[in-house]
Amino acid sequence: MTAPLLLFSLVGLAFFYLQNLVFFPQVRLDFLGLLIFVVAWRPSLALALCLALMLGLLQDSYAATPVGLHLGGALLLVASARFCRRGLLLQQAGPQILASLGALALQEAWFQVIIIILRFQSPFTWELVTYRSLEILASAALTPLMYQLVRGLEKLLRLLGWTPLREPTSF
Amino acid sequence: MHPRTRYRLPLLITAALLLIFSLFSLSLKRSPTLKKVEALMVSLTAPGLQGLHYVGDTLKHFWQSYFYLVGVKEENAALQRRLEEFTQKEVRYQEAQQALTRLEALLDLKRQVPFPIIGARVIAYDPSLWSRCALLDQGKNQGVKPGLPVLAPGGLVGRIVETYPQYSKVMLLVDRNSGADAVVQRTRVRGVLQGKGGNRCSLEYVPKKADVQVGDLVLASGLGGVYPKGLTFGKVTQADKNKPGVFQEIEVTPAVDLSALEEVLVVKVVNLAIPEP
Repeated sequence: MTAPLLLFSLVGLAFFYLQNLVFFPQVRLDFLGLLIFVVAWRPSLALALCLALMLGLLQDSYAATPVGLHLGGALLLVASARFCRRGLLLQQAGPQILASLGALALQEAWFQVIIIILRFQSPFTWELVTYRSLEILASAALTPLMYQLVRGLEKLLRLLGWTPLREPTSF
Repeated sequence: MHPRTRYRLPLLITAALLLIFSLFSLSLKRSPTLKKVEALMVSLTAPGLQGLHYVGDTLKHFWQSYFYLVGVKEENAALQRRLEEFTQKEVRYQEAQQALTRLEALLDLKRQVPFPIIGARVIAYDPSLWSRCALLDQGKNQGVKPGLPVLAPGGLVGRIVETYPQYSKVMLLVDRNSGADAVVQRTRVRGVLQGKGGNRCSLEYVPKKADVQVGDLVLASGLGGVYPKGLTFGKVTQADKNKPGVFQEIEVTPAVDLSALEEVLVVKVVNLAIPEP
């Protein structure tokens, strides 16, 4: 599990750098959330949990919010992905986008609830909701690309000699 | 169902919830261990950001000063050599001039502020929506401490909230957790400047009868001992007395563009409370 964890963590870090250096402050596409969500579709739950822990902590370290907010959001994405892979045919783009849309919206709700609870004030404004909804839609639309990227990286790992503990089941 | 499989899901959910709420609890109590974990994460990843910034700037400079001119060379072969030479000189000159202007402004500010000050570069921002903070390339080893105010030539930027050996985190004025005592320059009306996220602040607790108008400058009052008295927070961009309640709704836009900071100054004195004459 070490090799894929290292590789996906590096990819996550690259997305974090990309977000920080290229897209900030205009757009907040949730690349890290998508990566965690797609990796959690794969058979290894341990890999998904470790990746969520790493990337959640990375985002928490750069934020002024209490540690655990992004980590909780990442774990929620893992839980959503595990739930979705039971009931949806996640090899097609449509279900992939729908599933990630639901999961990212759920993660957003988690952020809102925790922020309200911890700070006793609501960051909820219509302007914010509109922009965030568009950003979540755009992020969800990128799910098929992220899926292909994860599959490609797994193929690369196999070429380099990595063998999964068990063959991935169909989505 | 096998007992191991049967209890796996509830156990995982319980463990995840325990982990998250323990982290929240430790974070709210400002646990030193958690701060060390954060410091480790930032120290491991920030050099990459710093390096990429440098590479990006170099490539941008290279692109602007050379590659962009390749097309011109094809069209104007005779003038290419001179054009390239002058364009490169101009780019270098403009870069130097811009850097000089920025550094002069910083130096002016340094002279105005009667406290020891260190310069720092902004190397990263928190890209999430939930907080507004930036990472500086000066940390504990350079004498930066939590609570120190951070300035830019236009005005105040925020205050240091975390320090790591080589880096520090500054909470910007617009962060929802940021609050500071402020005064309207024209009428000396006081209020609390509260971050509102995005690029906005609000001036809270100003009674409706107080005279505050769009365009008024909002300054640090010096009370509270965090921000030096008289430095600019921003400008009133909206003042609404028609809202229900006893206070006005006043929107303040920071004097500094907090999304495009490059160089800042950190005032190296924690308690800046200045006694009133």
